[in-house]
Amino acid sequence: MLYYILRRVLYTIPIAIGVSLIVFTLVHLAPGDPLSAVMGEVDQKMLAEMRASFGYDKPLPLQYLIWLGSALTGDMGYSLRTGAPVFGTLIDAAANTMVLGVAASFVGFLVGASAGMFAGYHHGTWVDKAVSAAAIAGVSIPHYWLAIILVIVFSVQLGWLPSMGAGAGASVLSWDAWKHMLLPAIALAAIPCAIVARTARACVMEILSMEFVEALRARGLSERRILLHVSRNALPTVLAVIGLQFAHLLGGSILVEVVFSWPGTGYLLNLAIFDRDIPVLQGTILLLALFFVLTNLVVDILQTFADPRISRA
Amino acid sequence: MNAPEAQRITLKFDALTPAPGAMEVPVGVMLPRTYWQTVGVRLARDPYTAACAFILLAIAGAAVLAPWLGLPDPAATNAAQRLLPVGSSGHLLGTDELGRDMLSRLIHGGRLSLTMGVLPVAVALAIGGTLGLVAGFIGGRTNMLVMRLTDVLYAFPSILLAVAIAGSLGAGVGNALLAITIVFIPPITRVTESVTTQVRAMDFVEAARASGAGAFRIIRTHILGNVMGPVFVYATVLVSVSILISAGLSFIGLGASPPTAEWGLMLNTLRESIFLAPLNAVLPGFMIFITSMCFNLISDGLRSAMDVRL
Amino acid sequence: MKPNRLQSTLAGIGIAAALAASLAWGQSRPLRVGMTLSDIPTTSGQPNGGFEGYRMTGYTLYDALINWKLDNAKAPSTLVPALATSWKVDAKDTTKWLFTLRKGVKFHDGSEFNADAVVWNLDKLFKKDAPHHDARQRAQVAGRILSLKAWRKVDDYTIEFTTHAPDSTFPYQTTYVFYSSPAQYEKLGRDWNKFSQQPSGTGPFRLEKMTPRERAELVRNSSYWDAKRVPKSQRVVLLPIPEPTTRASALLSGQVDFIEAPPPDFIPRLKSQGFQITSNVYPHIWPYFMSFREDSPWRDLRVRKAVNLAIDREGLVKLLGGFAAPAAGAVDKSSPWFGKPTFIIKHDPAAARKLLAEAGYSDSKPLTLKVMVSPSGSGQMLPRPMNEYIQQNLKAVGINLELVTQDWEVLRNCRRAGAGSPICQGVHGINNSSATVDPFSAFGRIYSSKAIPPKGFNYMYYSDPKVDAMVEKSNNIFDEKKRDQLLGELHAYLVDQAVDVWVVHDVGPRAMSKQVRGWVQARHWFQDLAPVYVAD
Repeated sequence: MLYYILRRVLYTIPIAIGVSLIVFTLVHLAPGDPLSAVMGEVDQKMLAEMRASFGYDKPLPLQYLIWLGSALTGDMGYSLRTGAPVFGTLIDAAANTMVLGVAASFVGFLVGASAGMFAGYHHGTWVDKAVSAAAIAGVSIPHYWLAIILVIVFSVQLGWLPSMGAGAGASVLSWDAWKHMLLPAIALAAIPCAIVARTARACVMEILSMEFVEALRARGLSERRILLHVSRNALPTVLAVIGLQFAHLLGGSILVEVVFSWPGTGYLLNLAIFDRDIPVLQGTILLLALFFVLTNLVVDILQTFADPRISRA
Repeated sequence: MNAPEAQRITLKFDALTPAPGAMEVPVGVMLPRTYWQTVGVRLARDPYTAACAFILLAIAGAAVLAPWLGLPDPAATNAAQRLLPVGSSGHLLGTDELGRDMLSRLIHGGRLSLTMGVLPVAVALAIGGTLGLVAGFIGGRTNMLVMRLTDVLYAFPSILLAVAIAGSLGAGVGNALLAITIVFIPPITRVTESVTTQVRAMDFVEAARASGAGAFRIIRTHILGNVMGPVFVYATVLVSVSILISAGLSFIGLGASPPTAEWGLMLNTLRESIFLAPLNAVLPGFMIFITSMCFNLISDGLRSAMDVRL
Repeated sequence: MKPNRLQSTLAGIGIAAALAASLAWGQSRPLRVGMTLSDIPTTSGQPNGGFEGYRMTGYTLYDALINWKLDNAKAPSTLVPALATSWKVDAKDTTKWLFTLRKGVKFHDGSEFNADAVVWNLDKLFKKDAPHHDARQRAQVAGRILSLKAWRKVDDYTIEFTTHAPDSTFPYQTTYVFYSSPAQYEKLGRDWNKFSQQPSGTGPFRLEKMTPRERAELVRNSSYWDAKRVPKSQRVVLLPIPEPTTRASALLSGQVDFIEAPPPDFIPRLKSQGFQITSNVYPHIWPYFMSFREDSPWRDLRVRKAVNLAIDREGLVKLLGGFAAPAAGAVDKSSPWFGKPTFIIKHDPAAARKLLAEAGYSDSKPLTLKVMVSPSGSGQMLPRPMNEYIQQNLKAVGINLELVTQDWEVLRNCRRAGAGSPICQGVHGINNSSATVDPFSAFGRIYSSKAIPPKGFNYMYYSDPKVDAMVEKSNNIFDEKKRDQLLGELHAYLVDQAVDVWVVHDVGPRAMSKQVRGWVQARHWFQDLAPVYVAD
């Protein structure tokens, strides 16, 4: 098992390098000169100077190495638009997205797992059908649309919750911060909720069909105890799914963040795309992709502990 | 809105494996007919799948035939008739913020929205399917190389990769299509490779090999038939994801550009009028929702009918 | 001694009075403003983001030598002494101007504003080899003060400016240059990025905190040099909310108190819930500036007239819920500079078709025009539906209008770089709203061949000796009445030449909660936030 984990960790390195290469290439596919589009500076001499100061006058492979080298040391350059260091900006934004991702995963896990397990346990009843229908709806609904509807209902009509932003930057634990987080977290939670519910339901059904459950029943265990047993057995799989969903949320929150003007990495990415702010664009995509790789790694390793059979795969 | 996990794919071979004794059947018979008959019977008994197929066919049919349905010009603006409510005479589903007929725009919008849902998956299926088939069949170093390369692309969450590619290339339908296609190649490659590897290891393939059949012939006659089913089921799920992502790209301004009718774009532009015409504003999102859901349900139906576990 | 009844009553009254006073100052509640920009405009001195930037982090944190008077909704805004108390042109050499600076003005860091600070700031912008030169700030203002050639300190409170040629509009041009504190720059280690986090100007507000893309918090500068403009609100919070629906929803849900440009479809709803809506005419034009370069179809007068005649401006105004006025030229008919053009701009598709046919275009060989538009931006109104509407108008006469959507800053950069620049991505024109505040902004910087990029805003590369001569002549007239008359002739000529596509004038709708007090919507792009506060 240790060998497997070690191999899995080492394997992450070429993946990460590949990811960085893709990010770099992608951004340089962009048509036009990044600097002149952003600066609008038409003085050729000055443009050349600025290009040199950003390293844009060097050949691409060299640029890549320089970029990667400094990115590894936490120096991702400066935003072309604001002049602020990209790393600091990214960390702030990532913290906001992380908070949102945790909240959405939590909602998704709580609602999805309980609904899914309940449905699996009461397989074939109307509750099961309702949960399955809701789960299908959850993965099919455009969550940016859901976000708009949530704003109209809960912010504008009822006036209960704020419609945008992350609040005045007070502590994450303050009620103000929670209020701002609620709607985007719910919108984001739709997909993980549905996926977790489906997984949990399938898992519970599979476990229920196993022999040991019959054995438990035969031993005269109450149905509640059996449910407890079953959920304990289903938990590792469900947790693994929510872990992967969490990773997806961090990279996939862009649309919801745009609707709520949530100051996270997705919103930052959106602005950077339309500003053609290359350093911010590169930094954000790289950070999100690497985070995705790492989360996958962690989930994999944790799963190995939970279920040693996996390491054979 | 992510490509569903493709790692843990397993096949229930009891359905796919030819019945005992089938080994002696001469090369060329790939599957017992009874399997597809079973699938057909199961599908026919599944009302959800049938209903979804009907809805999708209706939407797609209307979209394809849109220019001949006698609908008003979807681009014709009329400032005096803007935001007419659903049910207005002459405008069954009302008008949008520029006075354009909603019904016509929703139907015309289906052309682009469905294309953006299906085309990337189809192309990714051709590319990723071939890659996966080759990698799975040849195995060894080729498999290593192909799979490690897809691993790198697979290291991006779907939406992030789509947004990153479309955002870097610049707004436009072509770039959005390209972006989503690239997003779907790795998962399809993985699924195909995984199924191919499993099928390849089965006895009847070994038998065919032993009888000296060429690689191409084995793929064509033995593997393809067994691989296509599960991969196709997987691809139908991806269509629903693709519809969501492409509409999302248009929604943030990276896909279709005005005045094109496209559901994601319409959803965005009608937001501003949500209080004057709430129903009109909600309709495009509803269309995205319904089509995406239908593809999901069809995929579910196919999956259980074909007894494929994804 | 126990406090007797009278004493405690008096104390109570005292507390009540103090409370009342603090309420009258509106201290307790900040004024939260939803901007249309996608980011906080730069704060180091010269804001980006167009005139909305000037409004939000320009006139709040800084002053110009001459400011605009923004306390009157009834009449067009005029110039008012600010960091300079008076200015005059040299009667013998009309290229020389003497500005007398205000004494006793302090920057937010406490250092003195004087002639050295003026020279230092102009060096910052226009002297490329100065150690503190800032290309970013220069890019924002370079096209707005084209006449400036040299500057010189005469004594601690007098500055002499030299213009390239006599220019009676020079005082207007000085209103776009703000003065940042040299002492603060030194203190922060000569770093403009740091300066933008902790800027120091002379304006009625100080920047307390800024989170890029999220919010900027401005606080009252109690020792502002103009006692009348000391802010009524203790704190103003600026929030970038580029998406119109999000902005209006934020107002409806009580997250902000004041928003710029509410979407017209939200206005009935806002009104019914008791929100205040204000609007006012101001010198604004929403045009297409088109390229006059070699291969542009725009060089054909018939095409220019046809496009102008093809647009249904009344319909467009309807689309905007009435919050716009149809344009018949670069300036409104009520302007003293409108003149008497013979080409009447109206909706006449038949005439447009005829002109196009004469120019050699037909349904089989249609005219295609590519125009760069932005999704939002200062003065851009509602660019997407408006452009789509125009697209349909033009289609009706057989013109294909292709819209290339780019971010607002990219569009502005394209405008500064000029038609044909790679930044412009091959478009024939740009939809960039424009200010016609003063003679120079309205005409000189746009239509004079001397303002062709990189110098000025003549994006079009429009070059007409007749126009050049009229601009130059008007620059030499220091009598306002006579100058207005000549400008009227100039404008009439430009309209007859159908130089641009003039579409509508904005009326700058704004929406605010019931509790907002003190807001006066001046007839200008710039507005004064100092008297605005939120009552309890």
